[in-house]
Amino acid sequence: MVYFTFKRIKINSMNIKIRNTLGEIIGAFIALIWMWRNLTEASIMSIESVSKVLAQGIGISIILIIALHIVINILSSIITGKYEKDIDDERDKIYELYALQLSSVIFGISLVITLVLLGWFNLSINTGLIAITFVGFIGSILSLFLKIYLYR
Amino acid sequence: MLKKKVHIENAVRKLRFNSNEMTQQGLAELVGVSRQTIVAIEKYKYTPSLDLAFKIALAFDREIQEVFFIN
Repeated sequence: MVYFTFKRIKINSMNIKIRNTLGEIIGAFIALIWMWRNLTEASIMSIESVSKVLAQGIGISIILIIALHIVINILSSIITGKYEKDIDDERDKIYELYALQLSSVIFGISLVITLVLLGWFNLSINTGLIAITFVGFIGSILSLFLKIYLYR
Repeated sequence: MLKKKVHIENAVRKLRFNSNEMTQQGLAELVGVSRQTIVAIEKYKYTPSLDLAFKIALAFDREIQEVFFIN
């Protein structure tokens, strides 16, 4: 079943970079959903609780990304029957730079908008914290999609 | 004229086959990049740096203009 499912999404035609980037997107997305579910009552939560959830979410995303890297690489090695070494070269560094540029622009613009909106509408500090963290995650996910586009 | 973006092509694939059918992995290991980078260069999806271009030319024992050129 696993073999069939992976064959359908053409894991064999994907290179190791795309597979790892997909793992990073899934990890960040799961952490984002986890944080969203735990922040449904953010308006009545204390700043300590909100910060705790956000910090836990960031931690979860890091752990998930590492775990998904391992799982994806083991699965692809089993399916393809060969171990593909992940080498970082000049192309990876350039693509990494493009992705970093995109996420920085998204985060920078969104940070300014969040701060303006916080001042304008007199929103709580909780809202600001959540918005900034979520925007960081969304910027990161979009930059990962850019990397997949470049690697294809 | 010179401000126009140039499309650099290459003869890496042809030279690889002429070099005892060298594999992409073999060339990648020789010049110190990943196989995917060689694939991207052959498909003209990625233009290598001058450093890598020279390394590839050296791997085939050719001048750089014989490997990379503007069509």
